[in-house]
Amino acid sequence: MNILVLNCGSSSIKYQLFDMEKEFALAKGMISRIGMSGAVLSHKPFDRPEVKVSGEILDHIQATNYVISILLSANHGVIKDRSEIHAIGHRVVHGGERFTESVLITEEVLAEIRNLIDLAPLHNPHNIRGIQACNKTLPGIPQVAVFDTAFHHRMPPHAYVYGIPYVMYKKYGIRRYGFHGPSHSYVSHRAAAVLGKPIEELKMITCHLGNGASVCAVDRGASIDTSMGFTPLEGLLMGTRCGDMDPAVILHVMGREELSLHEANTLLNKHSGLIGVSGVSSDMREIIEAANAGHSNAKLALDMYCYRLKKYIGSYTVAMGGLDAIIFTAGVGENSPEVRELTCQGLGFLGIELDKGKNETTIGKEVDISSDNSRVRVLAIPTNEELVIARDTKNIVDKKILH
Amino acid sequence: MPASKIVIIGAGVMGRGLAEAIATTGTEVVLLDRTIKIAKLGIDKTRDSLDHAITRWALTEADKKAILSRIPPSADLQVAREAGIVIESIPENIRLKRELLQKLDDLCPEETIFITNTATLSITELAAVTNRAERIIGMHFLNPVPKIPVVEVVRGLKTSDDTYKRAREFADLLGKTPVLVYEYPGYVTTRIIVPLLNEAMHVLMEGVSTAEDIDTAMKLGYGFNLGPLALADAMGLDVVMSWMENLLNELSEHKYNPCPLLRKMVRAGHLGVKTGQGFFLYDKEGNRISGEIPIAETIKIGPPRSDADRKQK
Repeated sequence: MNILVLNCGSSSIKYQLFDMEKEFALAKGMISRIGMSGAVLSHKPFDRPEVKVSGEILDHIQATNYVISILLSANHGVIKDRSEIHAIGHRVVHGGERFTESVLITEEVLAEIRNLIDLAPLHNPHNIRGIQACNKTLPGIPQVAVFDTAFHHRMPPHAYVYGIPYVMYKKYGIRRYGFHGPSHSYVSHRAAAVLGKPIEELKMITCHLGNGASVCAVDRGASIDTSMGFTPLEGLLMGTRCGDMDPAVILHVMGREELSLHEANTLLNKHSGLIGVSGVSSDMREIIEAANAGHSNAKLALDMYCYRLKKYIGSYTVAMGGLDAIIFTAGVGENSPEVRELTCQGLGFLGIELDKGKNETTIGKEVDISSDNSRVRVLAIPTNEELVIARDTKNIVDKKILH
Repeated sequence: MPASKIVIIGAGVMGRGLAEAIATTGTEVVLLDRTIKIAKLGIDKTRDSLDHAITRWALTEADKKAILSRIPPSADLQVAREAGIVIESIPENIRLKRELLQKLDDLCPEETIFITNTATLSITELAAVTNRAERIIGMHFLNPVPKIPVVEVVRGLKTSDDTYKRAREFADLLGKTPVLVYEYPGYVTTRIIVPLLNEAMHVLMEGVSTAEDIDTAMKLGYGFNLGPLALADAMGLDVVMSWMENLLNELSEHKYNPCPLLRKMVRAGHLGVKTGQGFFLYDKEGNRISGEIPIAETIKIGPPRSDADRKQK
């Protein structure tokens, strides 16, 4: 069975075509600048070099047509006929409280995803556009929605309700939802496999450290708490987002600088975090470079980043009543020995101890980087959200065929 | 997102503001004017406006680059042929607008929709010179377009339901709330704001209060973002006066008679933000700068204030 995984943004579509017998990506690629002049499609078949095509791609319908064409093309393609695409899995950012697991997309499901636009105005509309485009370009092929929020649906109310009037939760659905679900799910299962233990026996903290970053307390396979909240702004210090902060700060700044809601929103989401504190970059590699070169605010940003993460590790260890493993994943987590080291420094009393050598040589690989004596295992595991989407899609389509 | 090209004609304050608002949504828009130099000047001013937005935390450098890349400048009216929507945003002059619409009507395919951005002119009268009166509609955006969340959608006598629907979709794309108005001089916003501005000028002229205090009173008292005099400066005093004269011509009501102070300031070339001086002083970026304007001296009007009064300030 071949499954096409799509992640549709406002002007971009990322795709991968999986052969599910081998769980192998036959091709992956991305279209950017949809709706603008000079749209670009970059496409990488597994066995040939990457190709780039530019042209006019006006909307998501045309874009999905391009994706299908290049998957079928004689020179760059990996399949012969569009009937070889058996199902499509979509990343959908917000599933609200309605969707607690991946679902087959029907008219009703689509309508309910649309009802959730209010909760994710920047993401859900584009995800919906991608689904509608596939309805046109690949009619009759089953489509599945995989939600960023679904993995966290078992969080208890004491973790997800905010300390504001309860009526806000009832009225507007204001609560912690959490994000990066497929990634936290993937790496926690991988970690269980690496450790050779059933996930039901493990207490883990998964640290997804990418441009956006979140930590998740995975207690025997279930997310019981996570650092991102109602939106992906809460929690860790990120590339351009502030993470946790006294909410009164923004009210004060809005008053002082006479900011509109929009301005305040971009201040917190795009001008804060590593870039806001350091003034250097939102990219951790550049922050570390600058910090090593003596840039004091870059050093401060790095310290804040790791200190915040350390606090979460402490609090989630307590929340779960123990800890068996910490997993680092995504861009920074997989590739930054410095961040992993700073974060784990001084946590020996919790039974957390890195193997210095292993940590330093582990870049983008799946490795247990803790010392032999470390009671808590520390792992670096490259994430694969697309594979989670493909697996969920396959499971749902298989079940549907059985019924 | 409309799958059709948008072209704006007129790279003035409104045209480029609209281009900025459209490009910010991720949609491409051609900004066209008589010469490529003028069109590019419009882009330069848009860059300034985006730079200002960055200082207000509203955008990042990367956003700015992406937005500007979506606004190609042009001086070739032929590009309108490929557009699904053509927006006319040239000066508020019925003769010029009619000439342009006539030219576009000859040039563009039958199905192209024309949006005319006017604050006071008659859509029906503008549409009459074309063969597509049902596909012409007025959309009155307010300055600064990227910031003001409302647009008056003005139906002419013959504007079709389908065109109206497309205009509403366009407003949705921009994230603006459309207000339907039927054709009548000044529509809603201009008709109501203009006498208010005029009255503020009378109050100033009659020496009831200072410009600063008049604005403060209205801002704090009635929740205006800008006081009436600062608002008039931002709109351009010549523009305010031309609106009043249009309303006066159409409706013959004394209340639309421009305040003598307004007439004098326009004659003196003190047109507000764009000339650096109106009721207040402005720097090149259009930011208010401090400094008392000796209105009584420069335009010789109103009762002179006593020296003692001035020293207290």
